[in-house]
Amino acid sequence: MSALETRYRRVLRVLPAAYRAEWEEEMVATFLASMATDDPDEAEYLDDYGRPSWSEVGSVLALALRLRLGGAGAPPRSVAWGQAIRLVTLMWLLGQAVLGVADKEFGLWLTGKLSWLPSPPPEWGVVTDLWHRVQGLTALVWVLVFVGLLLGHRRVAQVLAAVATVPVLVATGNAVVDLVDGAHPPLLSLLAILLLNVFSVAGMVAFHPDTPPPPPRPWYTALVVGALVVPWLMAVPVLDWPGLWAIAVVLLGVAHLTGPALGWGDRSPAWSHALALAAGAAFTLRVVTLLEYLWGRSTTWPPAGLVVLAVAEAVALAAVAVPLTVLTSRALRATPATMVG
Amino acid sequence: MTTEPAFFILTALVDQPRHGYGIVGEVAELSQGRVQLKVGTLYGVLDRLVGDGLVELDREEVWQGRLRRYYRLTESGAHTLATEAERHAANARVASERLRAVGQRRAAGQRRRPREA
Repeated sequence: MSALETRYRRVLRVLPAAYRAEWEEEMVATFLASMATDDPDEAEYLDDYGRPSWSEVGSVLALALRLRLGGAGAPPRSVAWGQAIRLVTLMWLLGQAVLGVADKEFGLWLTGKLSWLPSPPPEWGVVTDLWHRVQGLTALVWVLVFVGLLLGHRRVAQVLAAVATVPVLVATGNAVVDLVDGAHPPLLSLLAILLLNVFSVAGMVAFHPDTPPPPPRPWYTALVVGALVVPWLMAVPVLDWPGLWAIAVVLLGVAHLTGPALGWGDRSPAWSHALALAAGAAFTLRVVTLLEYLWGRSTTWPPAGLVVLAVAEAVALAAVAVPLTVLTSRALRATPATMVG
Repeated sequence: MTTEPAFFILTALVDQPRHGYGIVGEVAELSQGRVQLKVGTLYGVLDRLVGDGLVELDREEVWQGRLRRYYRLTESGAHTLATEAERHAANARVASERLRAVGQRRAAGQRRRPREA
């Protein structure tokens, strides 16, 4: 076996084992035929030093993602993963969209543009520099990402999500500089958000053109309800945004776990799986942000109430994550990893 | 509705059964070099076409010690391709007619303009 063939077979390992058993030999034969040349010296050189091009590797990675995230022809366990990834991606995008709108609403209240509401406390200032305005606008882009994905425009949603992530990327860069200068920037929190945004862009791959999209109406309703409720919660001093995430996931998790006992119908395995993933992500966010608050603490920040509540949120998230994970692993074990029949 | 690679793969199999690399070469020729199928893309599409019954295995051969599977178009595949080709042709006709009409209007406008000035 030539070094080139070994390298290509190594790339093919990203494909599910069942798929490789069916197609690997043929894919290798086709790939090697595509690399063949009449010049014996060049052929020898390619055998020893040739590598699959980035576009070849990319095509195999795209195929692996489609097969592992429940695209057409994927085995049942991959289909289950695909459903869960679609749901958890939508949950994160919904959260980002709601926070984007809520932040704008909150800003309008702070600047006195919602005069029919009680005035905010005078010590609550609002930052109006250009950078914060840009951040506010890109936060609203998440609404377009969320709606675009529900309407089936996956690629547009991916590009917009990448654009909306740029301010987080810039803020993370600034945080690294601040850290070098000896300050206490929220670097880990920013990295966690960055990572979740990158995961959501990657998660959109699970919205295959050949799989039915999730019914959009409940998600639109959640966006409207979130946009109406969350700005009020933002005014509660002991609630920060990872806390809002934690509370939302805990409430959904409890409703999901107790649903059958309350006569709300059967538990959907896809939702157990998605909520287990969401609880894991929310728990990580909660713990990381809390640790950073404590690391950079001053006499006024963080308030004791916020710390106590954050610890309670982390405990509650762990408490719902455990049964959700057990339910998910049981369901996945019962789902065939290869094609049936 | 088929994707562009699927459309060309079906077209490549109209005249005779072909193996994977044969399909890659034929698709490049049919599309005048515009569609260069990568191996991952080819087999991603091919397994779906086989799964949907549009393409089927014709025969297996061993060439230079390696497996070669030849695929052929099924009746259902030929029907799907004919429907798609008609759809593309109808779309192209609409676009061409619209472009021709606008082109004629523009040309008429340019002929009038010197007199108006």
